[in-house]
Amino acid sequence: MQDSDSVAPGYSPMTANRTAEQQALDRLLSQTAAGDQAAFAELYRRSSSRLFGVCLRMLRERGEAEEVLQEAWIAVWHRAAMFDASKASAITWLITLVRNKAIDRLRQRREQPLDDPALLDDLVDDDPSPAVGAQNSQEYRRLRDCLDQLEPQQRRSVREAFFSGVTYNELAARCKVPLGTMKSWIRRSLLQLRTCLDT
Amino acid sequence: MNTPIDDGNTHLRYAEYVLGLLDADTRAEVEREMMASDAVATTVALWQRRLLPLGEEIASSEPPAYVWHRILSQLGLDTPPHAERSGPAPTRTLRLWENLRFWHWLGLGTSVLAAACLVLLLLPSRQPIAPAATYMASAIAQTNGQVGWTATVDVGHARMIVVPAKPQAIAAGRAPELWLIPAGQKPIAVGMIGGGAPTTLILDPALLAKLGPSAALAVSVEPPGGSPTGQPTGPVIATGSIGVSADAANGRPANLPSQPADNVRGSS
Repeated sequence: MQDSDSVAPGYSPMTANRTAEQQALDRLLSQTAAGDQAAFAELYRRSSSRLFGVCLRMLRERGEAEEVLQEAWIAVWHRAAMFDASKASAITWLITLVRNKAIDRLRQRREQPLDDPALLDDLVDDDPSPAVGAQNSQEYRRLRDCLDQLEPQQRRSVREAFFSGVTYNELAARCKVPLGTMKSWIRRSLLQLRTCLDT
Repeated sequence: MNTPIDDGNTHLRYAEYVLGLLDADTRAEVEREMMASDAVATTVALWQRRLLPLGEEIASSEPPAYVWHRILSQLGLDTPPHAERSGPAPTRTLRLWENLRFWHWLGLGTSVLAAACLVLLLLPSRQPIAPAATYMASAIAQTNGQVGWTATVDVGHARMIVVPAKPQAIAAGRAPELWLIPAGQKPIAVGMIGGGAPTTLILDPALLAKLGPSAALAVSVEPPGGSPTGQPTGPVIATGSIGVSADAANGRPANLPSQPADNVRGSS
Protein backbone atom coordinates (compact mmCIF):
# COMPACT_ATOMS: atom_id res chain seq x y z
CA MET A 1 0.00 0.00 0.00
CA GLN A 2 1.19 3.43 -0.78
CA ASP A 3 2.12 5.29 2.32
CA SER A 4 1.53 8.86 1.33
CA ASP A 5 1.42 10.03 4.96
CA SER A 6 5.11 9.61 5.44
CA VAL A 7 5.89 11.83 2.48
CA ALA A 8 3.46 14.71 2.71
CA PRO A 9 4.99 16.95 0.04
CA GLY A 10 2.61 19.77 0.90
CA TYR A 11 4.36 20.49 4.18
CA SER A 12 7.83 21.84 4.33
CA PRO A 13 9.69 22.28 7.58
CA MET A 14 7.77 25.07 8.76
CA THR A 15 8.56 27.29 11.60
CA ALA A 16 9.59 29.88 9.03
CA ASN A 17 6.03 30.08 7.64
CA ARG A 18 4.57 31.05 10.96
CA THR A 19 3.28 34.52 11.65
CA ALA A 20 4.93 36.74 14.25
CA GLU A 21 2.04 36.08 16.62
CA GLN A 22 2.37 32.31 16.17
CA GLN A 23 6.09 32.51 16.84
CA ALA A 24 5.45 34.58 19.96
CA LEU A 25 3.10 31.85 21.20
CA ASP A 26 5.73 29.19 20.39
CA ARG A 27 8.22 31.09 22.55
CA LEU A 28 5.77 31.55 25.40
CA LEU A 29 4.90 27.86 25.44
CA SER A 30 8.59 26.91 25.48
CA GLN A 31 9.16 29.32 28.37
CA THR A 32 6.18 27.80 30.17
CA ALA A 33 7.88 24.42 29.82
CA ALA A 34 10.81 25.92 31.75
CA GLY A 35 8.48 26.88 34.58
CA ASP A 36 8.13 30.57 33.67
CA GLN A 37 4.86 31.67 35.24
CA ALA A 38 4.83 35.09 33.63
CA ALA A 39 5.09 33.40 30.21
CA PHE A 40 2.27 31.04 31.20
CA ALA A 41 0.07 34.01 32.14
CA GLU A 42 0.90 35.79 28.89
CA LEU A 43 0.19 32.65 26.87
CA TYR A 44 -3.19 32.40 28.58
CA ARG A 45 -3.94 36.07 27.93
CA ARG A 46 -3.17 35.69 24.25
CA SER A 47 -4.80 32.38 23.45
CA SER A 48 -7.51 31.55 25.98
CA SER A 49 -10.35 33.30 24.12
CA ARG A 50 -9.59 31.25 21.01
CA LEU A 51 -9.49 28.04 23.08
CA PHE A 52 -12.63 28.95 24.99
CA GLY A 53 -14.40 29.42 21.65
CA VAL A 54 -13.46 25.82 20.76
CA CYS A 55 -14.79 24.55 24.11
CA LEU A 56 -18.08 26.42 23.70
CA ARG A 57 -18.57 25.24 20.12
CA MET A 58 -18.04 21.59 21.01
CA LEU A 59 -19.72 21.39 24.41
CA ARG A 60 -22.44 24.01 23.86
CA GLU A 61 -22.75 24.52 27.59
CA ARG A 62 -20.96 27.34 29.34
CA GLY A 63 -20.28 25.71 32.69
CA GLU A 64 -18.83 22.60 31.08
CA ALA A 65 -16.83 24.67 28.62
CA GLU A 66 -15.27 26.58 31.53
CA GLU A 67 -14.41 23.33 33.31
CA VAL A 68 -12.81 21.85 30.22
CA LEU A 69 -10.85 25.05 29.56
CA GLN A 70 -9.56 24.91 33.13
CA GLU A 71 -8.59 21.22 32.82
CA ALA A 72 -6.84 21.95 29.55
CA TRP A 73 -4.71 24.75 31.03
CA ILE A 74 -3.75 22.55 33.97
CA ALA A 75 -2.52 20.06 31.36
CA VAL A 76 -0.71 22.82 29.45
CA TRP A 77 1.33 23.65 32.55
CA HIS A 78 2.18 20.01 33.22
CA ARG A 79 2.80 18.93 29.64
CA ALA A 80 4.40 22.02 28.15
CA ALA A 81 7.74 20.21 28.13
CA MET A 82 6.31 17.84 25.50
CA PHE A 83 5.77 20.71 23.06
CA ASP A 84 8.13 20.55 20.11
CA ALA A 85 8.04 23.67 17.94
CA SER A 86 9.57 21.78 15.02
CA LYS A 87 6.54 19.45 14.85
CA ALA A 88 3.61 21.81 15.37
CA SER A 89 2.95 25.42 16.21
CA ALA A 90 1.96 26.25 19.78
CA ILE A 91 -1.54 27.22 18.73
CA THR A 92 -2.04 23.88 16.94
CA TRP A 93 -0.70 22.10 20.01
CA LEU A 94 -3.03 24.04 22.31
CA ILE A 95 -6.12 23.57 20.14
CA THR A 96 -5.40 19.85 19.84
CA LEU A 97 -5.11 19.55 23.59
CA VAL A 98 -8.36 21.45 24.14
CA ARG A 99 -10.21 19.43 21.48
CA ASN A 100 -9.04 16.19 23.06
CA LYS A 101 -10.25 17.33 26.49
CA ALA A 102 -13.58 18.39 25.02
CA ILE A 103 -14.01 15.08 23.15
CA ASP A 104 -13.18 13.13 26.33
CA ARG A 105 -15.86 15.12 28.09
CA LEU A 106 -18.38 14.47 25.31
CA ARG A 107 -17.74 10.73 25.57
CA GLN A 108 -18.45 10.81 29.29
CA ARG A 109 -21.81 12.47 28.71
CA ARG A 110 -24.80 10.26 28.33
CA GLU A 111 -26.04 10.40 24.78
CA GLN A 112 -28.44 13.26 24.41
CA PRO A 113 -31.93 12.33 23.21
CA LEU A 114 -32.36 13.12 19.54
CA ASP A 115 -35.36 15.35 20.11
CA ASP A 116 -33.18 17.69 22.14
CA PRO A 117 -33.93 21.11 20.62
CA ALA A 118 -30.24 22.00 20.67
CA LEU A 119 -29.51 19.03 18.43
CA LEU A 120 -32.29 19.92 16.04
CA ASP A 121 -30.66 23.30 15.72
CA ASP A 122 -27.47 21.52 14.76
CA LEU A 123 -29.28 19.56 12.09
CA VAL A 124 -30.60 22.63 10.36
CA ASP A 125 -27.18 24.25 10.76
CA ASP A 126 -26.66 23.75 7.06
CA ASP A 127 -23.09 24.18 5.84
CA PRO A 128 -22.65 27.65 7.31
CA SER A 129 -19.17 28.22 5.91
CA PRO A 130 -18.23 31.82 6.53
CA ALA A 131 -16.62 33.87 3.80
CA VAL A 132 -12.88 33.48 3.54
CA GLY A 133 -11.23 36.72 4.56
CA ALA A 134 -7.81 38.28 4.84
CA GLN A 135 -7.58 37.13 8.46
CA ASN A 136 -7.60 33.46 7.37
CA SER A 137 -4.34 31.57 7.05
CA GLN A 138 -3.05 30.10 3.84
CA GLU A 139 -3.61 26.63 5.31
CA TYR A 140 -7.25 27.45 5.93
CA ARG A 141 -7.81 28.75 2.39
CA ARG A 142 -6.29 25.61 1.01
CA LEU A 143 -8.44 23.37 3.17
CA ARG A 144 -11.55 25.32 2.18
CA ASP A 145 -10.71 24.94 -1.52
CA CYS A 146 -10.37 21.19 -1.03
CA LEU A 147 -13.55 20.93 1.05
CA ASP A 148 -15.43 22.79 -1.66
CA GLN A 149 -14.58 20.00 -4.09
CA LEU A 150 -16.46 17.40 -1.98
CA GLU A 151 -20.09 16.43 -2.51
CA PRO A 152 -22.22 18.80 -0.40
CA GLN A 153 -23.55 16.03 1.87
CA GLN A 154 -20.08 14.70 2.47
CA ARG A 155 -18.64 18.12 3.11
CA ARG A 156 -21.38 18.76 5.64
CA SER A 157 -20.60 15.50 7.42
CA VAL A 158 -16.90 16.27 7.71
CA ARG A 159 -17.61 19.75 9.02
CA GLU A 160 -20.22 18.52 11.45
CA ALA A 161 -17.83 15.84 12.74
CA PHE A 162 -15.06 18.36 13.25
CA PHE A 163 -17.16 21.00 15.01
CA SER A 164 -19.30 18.72 17.14
CA GLY A 165 -16.80 15.99 18.09
CA VAL A 166 -19.58 13.35 18.07
CA THR A 167 -19.07 9.66 17.27
CA TYR A 168 -19.89 7.99 13.94
CA ASN A 169 -23.05 6.57 15.51
CA GLU A 170 -24.34 9.92 16.61
CA LEU A 171 -23.33 11.63 13.41
CA ALA A 172 -25.20 9.01 11.37
CA ALA A 173 -28.26 9.47 13.58
CA ARG A 174 -28.09 13.26 13.22
CA CYS A 175 -27.86 13.07 9.45
CA LYS A 176 -30.46 10.26 9.35
CA VAL A 177 -28.34 7.87 7.30
CA PRO A 178 -27.17 4.31 8.09
CA LEU A 179 -23.87 4.01 9.94
CA GLY A 180 -22.20 2.33 6.96
CA THR A 181 -23.19 5.17 4.68
CA MET A 182 -21.76 7.74 7.05
CA LYS A 183 -18.50 5.83 7.37
CA SER A 184 -18.05 5.60 3.64
CA TRP A 185 -18.93 9.29 3.14
CA ILE A 186 -16.36 10.35 5.71
CA ARG A 187 -13.62 7.98 4.55
CA ARG A 188 -14.05 8.88 0.93
CA SER A 189 -13.93 12.55 1.90
CA LEU A 190 -10.77 12.08 3.96
CA LEU A 191 -8.99 10.33 1.10
CA GLN A 192 -10.05 13.03 -1.30
CA LEU A 193 -8.93 15.76 1.10
CA ARG A 194 -5.56 14.12 1.59
CA THR A 195 -4.97 13.89 -2.12
CA CYS A 196 -6.11 17.47 -2.65
CA LEU A 197 -4.05 18.91 0.23
CA ASP A 198 -0.84 16.96 -0.33
CA THR A 199 -0.42 17.78 -3.99
CA MET B 1 -11.35 -6.91 -3.29
CA ASN B 2 -9.05 -4.08 -2.45
CA THR B 3 -10.83 -0.82 -3.07
CA PRO B 4 -8.84 2.33 -2.39
CA ILE B 5 -11.04 2.90 0.65
CA ASP B 6 -10.13 -0.48 2.19
CA ASP B 7 -6.48 0.26 1.59
CA GLY B 8 -6.66 3.53 3.42
CA ASN B 9 -8.73 2.38 6.39
CA THR B 10 -5.85 1.79 8.78
CA HIS B 11 -4.47 5.22 8.09
CA LEU B 12 -7.86 6.81 8.01
CA ARG B 13 -8.42 5.71 11.58
CA TYR B 14 -5.90 8.40 12.56
CA ALA B 15 -7.82 10.98 10.57
CA GLU B 16 -11.03 9.81 12.23
CA TYR B 17 -9.28 10.22 15.55
CA VAL B 18 -8.38 13.82 14.69
CA LEU B 19 -11.93 14.59 13.53
CA GLY B 20 -13.19 13.21 16.85
CA LEU B 21 -15.36 10.40 15.42
CA LEU B 22 -14.02 7.46 17.41
CA ASP B 23 -15.60 6.09 20.57
CA ALA B 24 -13.74 6.29 23.86
CA ASP B 25 -12.16 2.82 23.61
CA THR B 26 -10.89 3.28 20.08
CA ARG B 27 -9.54 6.72 20.97
CA ALA B 28 -7.60 5.23 23.87
CA GLU B 29 -6.24 2.55 21.52
CA VAL B 30 -5.01 5.18 19.03
CA GLU B 31 -3.41 7.14 21.87
CA ARG B 32 -1.55 4.02 23.02
CA GLU B 33 -0.32 3.46 19.47
CA MET B 34 0.89 7.08 19.30
CA MET B 35 2.90 6.58 22.46
CA ALA B 36 4.42 3.36 21.16
CA SER B 37 5.18 4.39 17.59
CA ASP B 38 6.72 7.55 16.20
CA ALA B 39 5.30 6.72 12.77
CA VAL B 40 1.78 6.69 14.16
CA ALA B 41 2.39 9.92 16.09
CA THR B 42 3.64 11.55 12.88
CA THR B 43 0.64 10.34 10.91
CA VAL B 44 -1.71 11.81 13.50
CA ALA B 45 0.25 15.07 13.52
CA LEU B 46 -0.05 15.31 9.74
CA TRP B 47 -3.80 14.87 9.90
CA GLN B 48 -3.96 17.52 12.59
CA ARG B 49 -2.13 19.91 10.35
CA ARG B 50 -4.47 19.12 7.46
CA LEU B 51 -7.73 19.44 9.39
CA LEU B 52 -7.16 21.80 12.30
CA PRO B 53 -7.18 24.99 10.18
CA LEU B 54 -10.95 24.48 10.05
CA GLY B 55 -10.88 25.69 13.66
CA GLU B 56 -10.30 29.21 12.32
CA GLU B 57 -14.03 29.39 11.69
CA ILE B 58 -14.78 29.16 15.39
CA ALA B 59 -15.51 32.52 17.01
CA SER B 60 -13.27 33.45 19.92
CA SER B 61 -14.91 34.04 23.28
CA GLU B 62 -13.30 35.64 26.32
CA PRO B 63 -13.54 33.24 29.30
CA PRO B 64 -14.59 34.78 32.62
CA ALA B 65 -11.72 35.97 34.85
CA TYR B 66 -12.42 33.39 37.55
CA VAL B 67 -11.33 30.56 35.23
CA TRP B 68 -7.77 31.88 35.32
CA HIS B 69 -7.96 32.30 39.08
CA ARG B 70 -9.08 28.67 39.43
CA ILE B 71 -6.26 27.46 37.18
CA LEU B 72 -3.70 29.29 39.28
CA SER B 73 -5.09 28.06 42.55
CA GLN B 74 -5.41 24.47 41.31
CA LEU B 75 -1.78 24.57 40.23
CA GLY B 76 -0.74 26.22 43.48
CA LEU B 77 0.76 29.06 41.46
CA ASP B 78 -0.47 31.94 43.58
CA THR B 79 3.19 32.57 44.21
CA PRO B 80 5.41 35.34 42.93
CA PRO B 81 6.11 34.66 39.24
CA HIS B 82 9.76 34.00 39.81
CA ALA B 83 9.27 31.17 42.28
CA GLU B 84 10.40 27.68 41.29
CA ARG B 85 7.72 25.54 39.72
CA SER B 86 8.28 22.53 41.92
CA GLY B 87 9.80 24.52 44.72
CA PRO B 88 8.65 24.74 48.31
CA ALA B 89 5.20 25.85 49.33
CA PRO B 90 4.42 29.55 48.97
CA THR B 91 6.32 31.75 51.36
CA ARG B 92 4.89 32.38 54.77
CA THR B 93 4.22 36.03 54.05
CA LEU B 94 2.09 35.12 51.09
CA ARG B 95 0.15 32.48 52.95
CA LEU B 96 -0.53 34.94 55.70
CA TRP B 97 -1.66 37.77 53.53
CA GLU B 98 -4.04 35.61 51.59
CA ASN B 99 -5.52 34.11 54.72
CA LEU B 100 -9.01 35.44 55.24
CA ARG B 101 -9.06 34.98 58.99
CA PHE B 102 -5.90 37.02 59.28
CA TRP B 103 -7.62 39.88 57.51
CA HIS B 104 -10.70 39.59 59.67
CA TRP B 105 -8.52 39.63 62.75
CA LEU B 106 -6.75 42.64 61.39
CA GLY B 107 -9.86 44.31 60.08
CA LEU B 108 -10.73 46.42 63.09
CA GLY B 109 -11.36 49.56 61.14
CA THR B 110 -12.02 50.27 57.53
CA SER B 111 -9.25 52.45 56.22
CA VAL B 112 -6.93 50.72 58.70
CA LEU B 113 -7.36 47.66 56.53
CA ALA B 114 -6.22 49.38 53.37
CA ALA B 115 -3.24 50.88 55.11
CA ALA B 116 -2.43 47.49 56.59
CA CYS B 117 -2.11 45.98 53.12
CA LEU B 118 0.78 48.29 52.60
CA VAL B 119 2.37 47.77 55.96
CA LEU B 120 2.35 44.03 55.48
CA LEU B 121 3.85 44.29 52.03
CA LEU B 122 6.62 46.46 53.37
CA LEU B 123 7.51 44.07 56.18
CA PRO B 124 11.00 42.64 55.72
CA SER B 125 10.99 39.31 53.96
CA ARG B 126 13.64 36.93 52.78
CA GLN B 127 13.42 38.17 49.25
CA PRO B 128 14.44 41.70 48.37
CA ILE B 129 11.32 43.80 48.32
CA ALA B 130 10.22 46.23 45.66
CA PRO B 131 9.92 49.92 46.48
CA ALA B 132 6.65 51.11 48.01
CA ALA B 133 5.50 52.83 44.84
CA THR B 134 4.91 49.47 43.20
CA TYR B 135 1.95 48.74 45.48
CA MET B 136 -1.45 50.41 45.63
CA ALA B 137 -4.32 49.74 47.93
CA SER B 138 -8.01 50.54 48.03
CA ALA B 139 -10.77 50.10 50.57
CA ILE B 140 -13.96 49.54 48.60
CA ALA B 141 -16.78 50.92 50.75
CA GLN B 142 -20.41 49.91 50.46
CA THR B 143 -23.44 52.14 50.49
CA ASN B 144 -23.89 51.33 54.20
CA GLY B 145 -20.47 52.83 54.91
CA GLN B 146 -18.74 49.54 55.71
CA VAL B 147 -15.78 48.35 53.72
CA GLY B 148 -16.87 45.40 51.60
CA TRP B 149 -13.50 44.49 50.09
CA THR B 150 -9.94 45.66 50.14
CA ALA B 151 -7.89 45.53 46.98
CA THR B 152 -4.12 45.53 46.88
CA VAL B 153 -2.30 45.92 43.60
CA ASP B 154 1.13 44.42 43.21
CA VAL B 155 2.31 46.36 40.18
CA GLY B 156 5.53 44.38 39.75
CA HIS B 157 3.64 41.13 39.39
CA ALA B 158 0.69 42.66 37.53
CA ARG B 159 -1.88 41.33 39.93
CA MET B 160 -4.51 42.49 42.33
CA ILE B 161 -5.59 40.63 45.42
CA VAL B 162 -9.12 41.38 46.53
CA VAL B 163 -9.95 40.36 50.07
CA PRO B 164 -13.55 40.43 51.30
CA ALA B 165 -13.92 42.36 54.56
CA LYS B 166 -17.63 42.54 55.26
CA PRO B 167 -19.41 42.31 51.92
CA GLN B 168 -23.19 42.53 51.81
CA ALA B 169 -25.08 39.38 50.93
CA ILE B 170 -25.71 39.12 47.19
CA ALA B 171 -28.88 37.72 45.66
CA ALA B 172 -28.75 34.06 44.64
CA GLY B 173 -27.56 33.57 41.06
CA ARG B 174 -25.68 36.90 41.07
CA ALA B 175 -22.04 37.65 41.76
CA PRO B 176 -19.90 40.69 42.48
CA GLU B 177 -17.79 42.04 39.63
CA LEU B 178 -14.97 44.53 40.09
CA TRP B 179 -14.54 47.54 37.77
CA LEU B 180 -11.79 50.05 37.27
CA ILE B 181 -12.98 53.56 36.43
CA PRO B 182 -10.27 55.90 35.13
CA ALA B 183 -11.15 59.57 35.73
CA GLY B 184 -13.71 60.71 33.17
CA GLN B 185 -13.83 57.34 31.39
CA LYS B 186 -16.11 54.37 31.17
CA PRO B 187 -15.69 51.45 33.61
CA ILE B 188 -13.33 48.64 32.60
CA ALA B 189 -14.02 45.10 33.85
CA VAL B 190 -11.28 43.83 36.17
CA GLY B 191 -12.86 40.49 37.05
CA MET B 192 -15.29 38.56 39.21
CA ILE B 193 -14.44 38.66 42.88
CA GLY B 194 -15.28 36.41 45.81
CA GLY B 195 -17.72 37.24 48.58
CA GLY B 196 -16.13 34.80 51.01
CA ALA B 197 -12.57 34.21 49.87
CA PRO B 198 -9.71 36.31 48.53
CA THR B 199 -9.42 36.52 44.75
CA THR B 200 -6.22 37.04 42.80
CA LEU B 201 -6.75 38.84 39.50
CA ILE B 202 -4.08 39.05 36.84
CA LEU B 203 -4.04 42.54 35.35
CA ASP B 204 -3.20 43.10 31.75
CA PRO B 205 -0.72 45.87 30.97
CA ALA B 206 -3.34 48.23 29.50
CA LEU B 207 -5.41 48.01 32.66
CA LEU B 208 -2.39 48.27 34.92
CA ALA B 209 -1.38 51.51 33.22
CA LYS B 210 -4.71 53.09 34.15
CA LEU B 211 -4.45 52.33 37.86
CA GLY B 212 -3.56 55.29 40.01
CA PRO B 213 -4.88 57.88 42.44
CA SER B 214 -7.13 59.44 39.80
CA ALA B 215 -8.91 56.17 39.09
CA ALA B 216 -11.53 54.44 41.21
CA LEU B 217 -12.73 50.90 41.82
CA ALA B 218 -16.35 49.84 41.97
CA VAL B 219 -18.24 46.61 42.57
CA SER B 220 -21.50 45.87 40.78
CA VAL B 221 -23.91 42.95 40.99
CA GLU B 222 -23.78 40.86 37.80
CA PRO B 223 -24.65 37.41 36.42
CA PRO B 224 -22.15 34.78 37.64
CA GLY B 225 -20.18 34.81 34.37
CA GLY B 226 -19.78 38.58 34.51
CA SER B 227 -21.62 41.44 32.83
CA PRO B 228 -22.79 40.32 29.37
CA THR B 229 -22.33 43.83 27.94
CA GLY B 230 -18.83 44.72 29.12
CA GLN B 231 -20.33 47.53 31.22
CA PRO B 232 -21.97 47.28 34.65
CA THR B 233 -25.57 46.09 34.30
CA GLY B 234 -26.55 45.63 37.96
CA PRO B 235 -26.50 48.04 40.90
CA VAL B 236 -23.18 49.41 42.11
CA ILE B 237 -22.83 48.29 45.71
CA ALA B 238 -19.37 49.54 46.63
CA THR B 239 -16.77 52.05 45.49
CA GLY B 240 -13.32 53.10 46.55
CA SER B 241 -10.49 55.28 45.36
CA ILE B 242 -7.00 53.98 44.87
CA GLY B 243 -4.18 55.14 47.06
CA VAL B 244 -2.89 54.92 50.57
CA SER B 245 -4.52 57.81 52.39
CA ALA B 246 -6.76 57.19 55.40
CA ASP B 247 -9.80 58.64 53.65
CA ALA B 248 -9.44 56.31 50.69
CA ALA B 249 -12.78 54.76 51.56
CA ASN B 250 -14.68 58.02 51.09
CA GLY B 251 -13.97 58.45 47.43
CA ARG B 252 -16.73 57.92 44.93
CA PRO B 253 -16.31 58.31 41.22
CA ALA B 254 -18.40 61.14 39.83
CA ASN B 255 -19.41 59.31 36.68
CA LEU B 256 -20.79 56.25 38.42
CA PRO B 257 -23.57 57.36 40.74
CA SER B 258 -24.48 54.89 43.41
CA GLN B 259 -27.76 53.14 42.66
CA PRO B 260 -30.21 51.83 45.20
CA ALA B 261 -29.07 48.33 46.06
CA ASP B 262 -32.46 46.78 45.44
CA ASN B 263 -31.03 43.54 44.11
CA VAL B 264 -29.23 42.98 47.35
CA ARG B 265 -30.95 40.84 49.89
CA GLY B 266 -30.23 41.94 53.43
CA SER B 267 -26.85 42.97 54.66
CA SER B 268 -24.57 41.11 56.95
